[in-house]
Amino acid sequence: MQVFKIPDSIKKDSKYTFCPGCDHGIAVRLVAELLDEMNLTEKTICATSIGCSVFLYDFLNIDCIEAPHGRAVAEATGVKRARPDNFVFTYQGDGDFASIGLAESMHGALRGEKITAICINNTTYGMTGGQMGPTTILGQKTTTSPMGRFVDTYGYPIHIAEQIALCDGTAFSARVALDTVSHINQAKKALRKAFQVQLDGLGYGFVEFLATCPTNWKMTPEDAHERVRNEMIKTYPLGVFKDVTSD
Amino acid sequence: MSEKVLIKGNYAIAQAALNAGLECYFGYPITPQTEIGEYLSGEMYKRNLAYVCAESELAAINMVLGASSTGAKTMTTSSSCAVALMQEALSYACADEVPVVLVNVMRAGPGLGYIYPAQGDYYQAVKGGGNGDYKMTVLAPSTVQECIDLTYRAFYLAHKYRNPTMLLADGLLGQMMEPAEFGEYPYPEVDNSSWALTGAKGRDGRAIYSLGACEEKQIKRIYHLFEKYKQIAENETDWEELNTEDADILLVAFGSMTRNIKAAMNELRKEGIKAGILRPITLSPFPTQRINEISKQVNNIIVVEMNMGQMVNDVKIAVEGNAKVDLINRPVGQWLSVEEIITGVKKVLENSYASV
Amino acid sequence: MEQNFIIAGFGGQGVLFAGKVLANAFMFLGNNVTWYPCYGAEMRGGTVNCEIVISDEEVSSVHKENADYIIALNQLSFDRFLSKVKSGGMMFSNSTLVDENKLRTDIEYLSAPMTQIANESGYSKLANMVALGALTNIIPALNENVLAKAIQKVLEGGKEKFFESNLEALKLGIGCLALA
Repeated sequence: MQVFKIPDSIKKDSKYTFCPGCDHGIAVRLVAELLDEMNLTEKTICATSIGCSVFLYDFLNIDCIEAPHGRAVAEATGVKRARPDNFVFTYQGDGDFASIGLAESMHGALRGEKITAICINNTTYGMTGGQMGPTTILGQKTTTSPMGRFVDTYGYPIHIAEQIALCDGTAFSARVALDTVSHINQAKKALRKAFQVQLDGLGYGFVEFLATCPTNWKMTPEDAHERVRNEMIKTYPLGVFKDVTSD
Repeated sequence: MSEKVLIKGNYAIAQAALNAGLECYFGYPITPQTEIGEYLSGEMYKRNLAYVCAESELAAINMVLGASSTGAKTMTTSSSCAVALMQEALSYACADEVPVVLVNVMRAGPGLGYIYPAQGDYYQAVKGGGNGDYKMTVLAPSTVQECIDLTYRAFYLAHKYRNPTMLLADGLLGQMMEPAEFGEYPYPEVDNSSWALTGAKGRDGRAIYSLGACEEKQIKRIYHLFEKYKQIAENETDWEELNTEDADILLVAFGSMTRNIKAAMNELRKEGIKAGILRPITLSPFPTQRINEISKQVNNIIVVEMNMGQMVNDVKIAVEGNAKVDLINRPVGQWLSVEEIITGVKKVLENSYASV
Repeated sequence: MEQNFIIAGFGGQGVLFAGKVLANAFMFLGNNVTWYPCYGAEMRGGTVNCEIVISDEEVSSVHKENADYIIALNQLSFDRFLSKVKSGGMMFSNSTLVDENKLRTDIEYLSAPMTQIANESGYSKLANMVALGALTNIIPALNENVLAKAIQKVLEGGKEKFFESNLEALKLGIGCLALA
């Protein structure tokens, strides 16, 4: 019995260049599995982003346009409006989606763009070496909040999935984690739904993945996943915050 | 549609874009070009074409980038300070080789400036405000008829060369009405099947990106782009020339300012001053070679523009010291009148004779 | 040769509309013509104006410093544009709303009670067409037919029902100056 197979939509010659213990690899695999299972690979156009997520087109054998930093939802909007029969998703980090791109990300949701947005939230800017981002947790030390994020100077972190759920054009918004097998299975279920609402023309589908960044957190992969469990999920509770299909 | 109609420049641009096969429009309001988006909102809805009131110009140009990457004929229109917001994406569009069509109906700057007409965005358009080595193709209409003709050409050139192409008009052209004919879109359709994103059906995935993590590839990319710009310059450089055969002085202007220098030239000729005109129609690529040729024959070259002197520097580069180059200018507002231009020309001539 | 006209009044007097009719009429008569409005914040200050330039060659400057003919539909426009009439040019004003202050002696003055004529005939918003009608007595090339055709053109696309009233006001204008 085959228990694991590399999804067809993963490039045959590709090698993940993510750091050991980084959850990007799991998230990309879930995307690839669903593209396979939902038979979407041939009609997909992805808007990638800036940050570690930029490398998506090195791994997936699909059409991709690389959006400038923060503009993936705007690019995806352009793609989807031009080619409504294609399946369109974005793959972004938390800085890209919720800091520099917050306007585009939310207006896409407000317009009810029939796209799926994926946000990998690792509470830091990974590619530039671990600076404070929009989701950096209070107290968390980064290279630009060396004393820890405290409110007076740094303000509050954003709860992305909850904010996106508030937009009337959002069809589905959920937060998931990738720290355990059961969480990974839940994550895949949520992502499937976020894909499906687009296919059904219901509106904006959104999934926020709580993810590790062991390199910048300066942790082992194991400790990093421990942090997801003990710290991140406490700040950013998992769950479905909006699902127009559930009523 | 071969009948002449009295039409505003902004509406002429909008209708011409539809005739050219516009499929997607993304925009954000700003005077003095808002009529373009207003007109298209209704017309594109009727035709079941994609129209989005974007949340910002930043979003608009990135929506354009997305739609253009599928090969769709896509346009955004804006003005000066808002075109400034788009510069990052224009640099991407050049690097990504995506066929963007962008209209800038110039207002006055710097900063917020005002809605007076001006020509202060010459540098922004031709030199680019974005990062890195790139060039847009820039076309400058001088009449409402050319707003139509050059909108057609902008779509063709953008797709033929997969390079962002800007129609650089000014508030005067956008707001004025003049009789013009639409005719049919005169260019062939460009096949984009070799690169457009359509979904990886029956082929491997395609990625449109400009990340240059591999130095060798990045160098190759830039040489490739500049080889293309060279081709565009060889094939597409365009200008209008009047009375240059026997000219002693050459007047150079672009856009709607050309109208005034034509009248000034006629008056000067009546007085025995042999003036000729060269008007760049493509500001990028610039008619450098032709200006260089004429500069060997004339004594004076006078650039007339509504800014503090921008195109004049490209003219100086072209002239290579062969003739004296002067500037008649005003930064914004009331266009330099025919009388002011004549007075300015005479003053330049007096000074240059004095210095002989 | 070039000639230019400025039509000025307050918002709601149909200044831009009248300018478009005039520009279309000149186009039908075979002239090169441009129409250029004041636009933007100026429009919100209450006064509106547009400039029409006609030429037998390509129109040069579409927005000139002064004009051969200025048609002032209200006092504010009269006062503002009096200095913009070319020497030897004409200020044509709406005497219902304008007290002519003939400060300049190098130009011609002409007036007609445009608003009054329009109001008395029940076309209260059509002083602009009365003005254009009257203009046929000043500019020989203009006539009822070509202006009627121009009105029709400008009303195309949903406003055709206003044609009759505009035409009637135009006719009243043609008559009024002949009587004066």
